[in-house]
Amino acid sequence: MDPHRPSKRPDFYLHLHPPTIPARQARFRYTLGAGGLSVFLTLVLLVSGILLMFYYIPITKQAAESIQRITYLVPFGFWVRNLHYWSAQLLVLTSLTHLLRVVFSGAYAPPRRLNYLIGLFMFATILLLDFSGYLLRWDEGIRWALVVGTNLLKFIPLVGPSLYLLVLGGDLPNPSSLIRLYSWHIFGLSLMAVILGVWHIFRVRRDGGIAVAPAAARQSHARISRFELAQREGLAILYGIVSLSLLSLFLPAPIAPPMSDVSLASTEARAPWFFLWVQELLKYGPPFTMGVLIPAMVFTYFALIPYLFPTPQPHELGEWFPKSGRMVQISSAIILFVIIWMTILALRPAP
Amino acid sequence: MKTKLLVASCALLLTWVLVLWKGLTTPQPVVLIPVLSGSAEYCLTCHLELPQISNSHPIETFGCVICHGGQPLALEADLAHSTMRGGDNPSRLDVVEQSCGGEKCHSGDMALGRDHIPRVLTSIQATYSGAITQILFSFGLQQENVARYGVRLTQDKDGNSLSGIMQLEAFSPQIFESSVTAAFAQNCLGCHIGADPMPGEEYQRFSGCAACHTPILGSKQNGAPIHTLTLAIPYSQCNTCHNRGNYDLRAMSFIPRTDQPSDRFHDYYQPIAQFVRCEWTLDCVDCHTRQEAMGDGDIHSDQKDIQYVQCRTCHGTILEPPLTQTITHAEDLALKMAFLNPVINLKIGDTILVTEKGEPLWNIRLLPDGRYELFAKASGQRFTFRKVMDTACQQNPLEQGSRYCHQCHAEERAP
Repeated sequence: MDPHRPSKRPDFYLHLHPPTIPARQARFRYTLGAGGLSVFLTLVLLVSGILLMFYYIPITKQAAESIQRITYLVPFGFWVRNLHYWSAQLLVLTSLTHLLRVVFSGAYAPPRRLNYLIGLFMFATILLLDFSGYLLRWDEGIRWALVVGTNLLKFIPLVGPSLYLLVLGGDLPNPSSLIRLYSWHIFGLSLMAVILGVWHIFRVRRDGGIAVAPAAARQSHARISRFELAQREGLAILYGIVSLSLLSLFLPAPIAPPMSDVSLASTEARAPWFFLWVQELLKYGPPFTMGVLIPAMVFTYFALIPYLFPTPQPHELGEWFPKSGRMVQISSAIILFVIIWMTILALRPAP
Repeated sequence: MKTKLLVASCALLLTWVLVLWKGLTTPQPVVLIPVLSGSAEYCLTCHLELPQISNSHPIETFGCVICHGGQPLALEADLAHSTMRGGDNPSRLDVVEQSCGGEKCHSGDMALGRDHIPRVLTSIQATYSGAITQILFSFGLQQENVARYGVRLTQDKDGNSLSGIMQLEAFSPQIFESSVTAAFAQNCLGCHIGADPMPGEEYQRFSGCAACHTPILGSKQNGAPIHTLTLAIPYSQCNTCHNRGNYDLRAMSFIPRTDQPSDRFHDYYQPIAQFVRCEWTLDCVDCHTRQEAMGDGDIHSDQKDIQYVQCRTCHGTILEPPLTQTITHAEDLALKMAFLNPVINLKIGDTILVTEKGEPLWNIRLLPDGRYELFAKASGQRFTFRKVMDTACQQNPLEQGSRYCHQCHAEERAP
C-alpha cells in the first residue's frame, strides 16, 4: 500500500482502529466481542431513542398512552420500541460481560487502572439509564421501581433526601418526577454515557490497545490488520442487527395499563431484572443495609480491585484467569454467584 | 470472510423483509373519537361486529370506554381488557357509579328522573333488606319488623326518607351467632341483583343494571356476546330470579321448581293460585313501575312497602276512572320512555294513565271512545281494555286487593 496515494489511506471508520492488533487477543473467545457489541448497542439505542422521542410524551397522564400509540398505531413503532428495549437489556449483559472479562483476565492492571474506573462508572451509568428508561413507561409495571426502588435513595446518609429531590423533583413521586426522569434519561445520563464512552475508547488507544503480555513473553506474535478487524466487526454488526430485529419482532417489550395512583405500593410488583437481587436482599434486612450499603460495597469492591489486590504480572496479560489474579477471580466469582442466586430467588412466584 | 459477510448480509435482508412484512400486515386500528370523551378509541378494530347497545347510547356519542373502561389504544386483548370495569359487565353494582353514573347520566337529579343508580342501590332488589329483615324478625333475632341490615352498608343519601330508615348496616351472620343466620348466609344471601346467579341455564342473568335490562334467554345464539340494554324486558328475564321455586324456612333453603311449564299460564310458580288474564298475558313490566322495580330512593323493609300497583291503577273503581295525564310538553318523561322503547307512537296531546304516585304508564293511552289501549313493552302487542266504572262490577272501592278481583275474573289452572 502506498501511503502517498490518498485513495488508499484508511477512511474514517478504519482510522478509529489501530493499524494492527495481536491476533490472539482479537479472538472472539478472548474478548467475547463484549466491548464492541456494547458500542454497537449504544449506537442502536441512540438512534432508536431519538425516533421514540418524536412520539413519547413525558406527561404522567399521557406517557403510558403514548407508548401504546407507538406500539399500536405508529408505523413500525412497535419494532423501534422493541429494538430500544432489547438493545438496552442486552447492553447491560454485554457491558457486564466486558467488565467480567477485564476482571478475569487481569486487564485492569496499570496503566489501565483509570480506564477500568471509567468503564465501571460507565456501567453504573448504563444501569441508571436502563432504570430511568424503565420508569418512563409510567405504567402499572413499574410500581416497584418507582415506589420502592427510588425510595432507597432516601436511605443514603446525609445526601439521601437531597438526592431523591434531585432525581424525582419532590418528596414523593409526582407529575414532575416524570419530566425529571425523562431529562435524566435523554440528556443527563445519556450525555454522561457518551462522554465516558468516548473517553473510555480514547484511553484504550492511549493505554496501548488491548492488554497483552510484553513481546518477549507472548505465545504468538501474529497480528491482524484493521481491515480484518473491521470485517469481523462488520460481521458482528450484521448478526447483531439480525438478532435484535428478530428479538424485536417476536418478543415484545413489556406494556401495561397506565399507572392509576403512584402512592399505592404493590407486593406483587417486581423490580427490573437487573435490580431483582436488590429487591430480594431487601427481604432479609433493613433498607439501608440491604438496599444501599451492600450494593455500594459491591461497587466499591469492583472499583478497588486494581488498587487493593496484587497486580497481575505483565507476562500473564492477554489471557483468561492469570494465576496472579486468583484472589480477585475467586472473590468476584463469589459476588457474582450471590447476585445471580438472589436474582433466581427473587423470580420465585410470590406465595 | 467475504462469504461470511455475504451470508450475514442475506440473513439481514431476510430479517428486514420479515420486519417489513410484519409492519405492513399489522392491521391499522379502526379509530373512533366519541363526542363525549373526545379521545381516540381503537376498540372497534376487533369489535366492529358488536351491535350498538341501545338507541339511547349511540356509539358515535358514547364510544366504548366511557362505560366499559379498558385501554382504548391497545390492540392486544390482554392489555386492552385489563382495566375494564366489572369485567364484561360495567353495570355491576360495585362499579356502576363509575360506569353509568354522573350528573347527566344515571346518578343525576331526581326531579329529572336521572337518579337511577341511587334508587337501585337503596332498592330491596339490591339491598336484600326485605329477606334479611323477614328472617331476623321471624326467628326472633330482632324485635321490630324494620330493616336494619342489607347485603352492604347502605345509606339514604338525600337525607329524606318516607320509610324513616336512613341506613342499613352490612349484614354478617357472625353478628348473631345463630345457626339460622349462618344457613341463611350460606344458602340465600346470593339472591339479589348485586350477586351472580345460581348455576343452571334457567337462572342465567347478569348482575347490576344488566340483571334486568340485558335479557340473556334467547340471546345466546351463535355464542355471540350479548350487547344490549333495553326497556323491553320480557317476563322471562324476571323469571331468572322470580317464579323459580319456593323457600323452606325450616331447612333455610330454596326448593327449585321441577315442573316444565309449556305456556305462560303455567309459568307462574304458585301451584294453587288463580290468575286474571293480565297477569299471564302481559309482561311484568307492563304493570309494575320503575319505582317498584328499581326503588323510589328510600330504604324499605319489605317488598310490600314498595309495590303499590293494583288492578284499579289501570281499571279504576266503580266510583272513579283510572288517573290520567295529558302530555303537554316535549320534555315529558312519558315521551322519553316512548322514545327509548318505541312500542307506542306517543305525542303531545295524548292522554296516558298515571299511577297514584304520579308515575306515567306511558304505554297506555286513552282512546276517543273511552277505552284504553296498552302496548306491551316487550312484544309491542296491542291490547284494549275498559274501565270498571259504568260496568256490572260491584266491587267495594275500598277492597281492591287482587284477591277480590280474582273471585270473578280469574281463570283456574289445572293442578
